[in-house]
Amino acid sequence: MALHLNLLHEEQLQQRQRQRDPLKIGMMVLGTLGALMVTYYLWNAYKTLEIRNRLSQVEHDWAKVEPKVTAAQKRSAELNSIISTTKVLDGIIDTRFFWGPFLEKISRCVALNAQLTSIEGNILDDKVVVAIDGLAAGREPRAAAEELRQLLLEQLGPGYKDVKVEFKTLEDLDTIVKIGGANMAMAHFAINVSFSTGAAKAKPAAPAPRVRTPKE
Amino acid sequence: MKDFKLSKDQIKKLALSTIGFFVLVYVYLSFFLGPLNSNSDKMLATIAVLQDKVANSKNEMGKATNLERQAGTATTRFAALKALSPEGAPIAWFPPRMKAFFANQSIDKSTARLETSVAFTEPELAGWTRYNWMIELPQADYSTLGKAVAALENGEPLLSINRINIRALPEDPQFQQVSLTVSTAILKR
Repeated sequence: MALHLNLLHEEQLQQRQRQRDPLKIGMMVLGTLGALMVTYYLWNAYKTLEIRNRLSQVEHDWAKVEPKVTAAQKRSAELNSIISTTKVLDGIIDTRFFWGPFLEKISRCVALNAQLTSIEGNILDDKVVVAIDGLAAGREPRAAAEELRQLLLEQLGPGYKDVKVEFKTLEDLDTIVKIGGANMAMAHFAINVSFSTGAAKAKPAAPAPRVRTPKE
Repeated sequence: MKDFKLSKDQIKKLALSTIGFFVLVYVYLSFFLGPLNSNSDKMLATIAVLQDKVANSKNEMGKATNLERQAGTATTRFAALKALSPEGAPIAWFPPRMKAFFANQSIDKSTARLETSVAFTEPELAGWTRYNWMIELPQADYSTLGKAVAALENGEPLLSINRINIRALPEDPQFQQVSLTVSTAILKR
């Protein structure tokens, strides 16, 4: 067997050690990783550019539409405001109490032997309160006043809700008046009328044919 | 096996490489990939929002067109109600208007004075003010008054009579002395 002498052993060992240098291997690994990372970064950057392009396209589309949308929104808000304001105003208008028909109904109840000296009407929340003062004349002046009260109840009952017509005072007077040539006794009355405005509103109507005739 | 044994110097270098690796990863994530991704995420979110807005804009415009059509009556009515409030301070035009109105109704003497003005509580009527007036008619015939009141209520939809006081004149019972407390809704100008 031939003797084999390796005189370069130390040199070869050093070269092998250089090749297995961990720092060098580490640097290679880091380099590879770095290259991968850069590639991935570039790929992401490319995608981001694509997204930026899409964004600018969408922004452009929106810029074209935005003024129209803003104007439409503004107009919608304005119209909604008009609708709601009109609704509230209509509510106020519809819930008004009309005094014209009421005064007309009262005029139908007053005969020649009665005279109203004052009418004072107030609207309190959803209630109408009217104080009527007057004089009635006749052989039975109290009956004449009561007839006026009955007639008021009859006239107001169908048009309004929860109608109450009550005497506050009814007293005979010493004064005598002449009606149609006859002397009549007189009575002073104060009538309180109250009703709710929640009922169907009375509409202005033509004068009713019924007229009370004076009592002798 | 002996070949794989690391010397102290090699372990040092290996540790250095490991630290370098982590530093590299940190720098890469924090200064390169992170900002890029967050930027693209923001852009994607903006795109989604804008696309949503563009899609909704068609709806909005359609709704506005429909509303415009539906609100035709309300708009006309609102314009008519608005026209009842002329330009200028109400105290300057309301009393003359009432005077002219009652004069047309054959009630020559009339005065109207402002009692109070208050804002409406309804938020829808923020642009309107309630004015309370006292209208005095020192001499009016009952039937003429009744017709005038009815005409006033029909002709002035924003006016409501809250109190009415009719008294016979002692010296001339054919005529009555009348005072009306009315409130009107007037547009702020």
